[in-house]
Amino acid sequence: MKKSFYRFIEHTADIGIRVKSFSLAGLFKNAGLAITDISFQKQTSQYPGKHNIVIRQKAANVEELFINWLNELLSVSAVESLVFEDIQVTQINENYVDAVAVGRDMRDYKLNTEIKAATYHQLKVKKTGLIWQAEVILDV
Amino acid sequence: MDAHIPLEKIDDYRWRIPRSYKPGMRVPGLIYADEKLLKDIYRDKALEQVANVAFLPGIVNNSLAMPDIHWGYGFPIGGVAATDIEEGGVISPGGVGFDINCGVRLLKTNLEYDDVKDKIKDLIYRLFSDIPSGVGSEGDIKVSPKEEEEILLKGSRWAVEKGFGTDDDLECTEENGAMQGADPQAVSERALKRGRAQSGTLGSGNHFLEVQVIDQLYDRDASDALELNLGQVMVAIHSGSRGLGYQICEDYSRGMIASLAKYGINVPDRQLACAPVSSAEGKAYLSAMKCAANYAWCNRQCLMYLTRKVFEKFFGVSWQKLGMFLIYDVAHNIAKIEKHNVAGKEKELCVHRKGATRAFPPGHPALPEKYKKIGQPVIIPGDMGRNSYLLTGTEKAMQETFGSACHGAGRLKSRTSALRSINPDMLLKELGSKGIIVKASGRNTLAEEAPSAYKDVNDVVDVVHNAGISKRVCRMRPLGVIKG
Repeated sequence: MKKSFYRFIEHTADIGIRVKSFSLAGLFKNAGLAITDISFQKQTSQYPGKHNIVIRQKAANVEELFINWLNELLSVSAVESLVFEDIQVTQINENYVDAVAVGRDMRDYKLNTEIKAATYHQLKVKKTGLIWQAEVILDV
Repeated sequence: MDAHIPLEKIDDYRWRIPRSYKPGMRVPGLIYADEKLLKDIYRDKALEQVANVAFLPGIVNNSLAMPDIHWGYGFPIGGVAATDIEEGGVISPGGVGFDINCGVRLLKTNLEYDDVKDKIKDLIYRLFSDIPSGVGSEGDIKVSPKEEEEILLKGSRWAVEKGFGTDDDLECTEENGAMQGADPQAVSERALKRGRAQSGTLGSGNHFLEVQVIDQLYDRDASDALELNLGQVMVAIHSGSRGLGYQICEDYSRGMIASLAKYGINVPDRQLACAPVSSAEGKAYLSAMKCAANYAWCNRQCLMYLTRKVFEKFFGVSWQKLGMFLIYDVAHNIAKIEKHNVAGKEKELCVHRKGATRAFPPGHPALPEKYKKIGQPVIIPGDMGRNSYLLTGTEKAMQETFGSACHGAGRLKSRTSALRSINPDMLLKELGSKGIIVKASGRNTLAEEAPSAYKDVNDVVDVVHNAGISKRVCRMRPLGVIKG
């Protein structure tokens, strides 16, 4: 129910997660993969093709960038019927992210929990010492 | 824990958060609860959110909380806030939520408990196989881009014109199944694409279709008017606007965060981002929100059509002969422009109901002729192991809550905590021992939606009835449930 790259935090109606990494790129990657892990479970390998999707987002600050990033992943996943199994962040700063999300056909997955969106409520994205950490509430 | 929030007791069912609690609150908070429910409400951060909502520019009277209130994001779930449009009142996408026009409809049948008690398992399995549910599920009712645009404008009427219902269904739907002023141009291409595949699908999580039986009547006149009796079988359908609504909320929340500075608005949580109703941003969101609301009404109309079809096949007679007529369909995540009396003056307000149900009184012009005498049917679903209720709206709700009541039981336990503590197999056994058949798309959904994860809806409904903001008509208990 939890993987090493994220932890659940308590929230009554929705799902809260905490994600950590030594880099901002790693933080964004881990949060994106946490969304996949919560939402989907691989069941078959009948549709083996990979689909590389470029995700680019910009924002006024790192917190808004983080929310835009997660919501873009959720939106593209729903529209393209893809599950993002891997993410390569190619360029990132606190206002801009450019990445390739590697999608697999959704038909090979069991769908566990529908995440509607990432929210700003109690959002935290910050660097403490060498560690980047984010906390976010996901509407489910 | 919100134990530090000072609450002033008004009476046994109403509690106030004074404006002095937090600098920036424009009005007090008003919570409908009894002492028992208040203990649960104190367990999370919902009361803090009631105080935060009181910051919204133009808010009038109170930031309201219904007894099913629990911690949401931005607004609490179970929150009602009305803003005065003339006084710069705002509209907030977070005050509606991602699942725009999440709502519930209740239809009656002329079947009695004895007609279904030995067949309920087969009936539920047939409903589960014929009604698309679950995360991202795609429906059998396929729509083209042109048809989707028609749905956004026509709402339930689109389905009725396709033969998926009748004019009577429209009469028994809030707003007749379509809000006027929807503008598909205000909806992004991404949102349209996200919604297109999901017409006629139930969705996941707390969305459900439930076969119920009336086990208690409270109001003989209203029951007679609605032709409801003890032992009568009912069907409730709970769903929303699916991906279309999620994307519209996300698109406009993003824009409104940028417009906070433009309008000099200070809110303590970015998820309360908002813009004046009369601004370009506010008008555009309202037009797009109406599109999602109309889509949701059409979706529930399609789901009801599919349900009637299953019953027809299962019982071998037409749905009309089975008496499967719609009682009412209510939205419980929505913003509406409504006229209300504020300090003796009629005002045009933007009423946000985030996990709250409209509850208009007898005689209200928005009600169909057949409900003018008894008031608007208010449908309150509970969890899958306890009860659901049908109530009617009251004049007191108009005076105190902008014509609003609760929307359900309200969560008590987090999903993660439910997953940790509830064994889905044991739960199925326990429900089975009570004669309740459950079919769910996922094991996680079962645990997350377990009765112990919710407050007791009986307690919640007691409060709205005793506080006078709605009036009990009858109570149902579940026989079978399909969950997305």
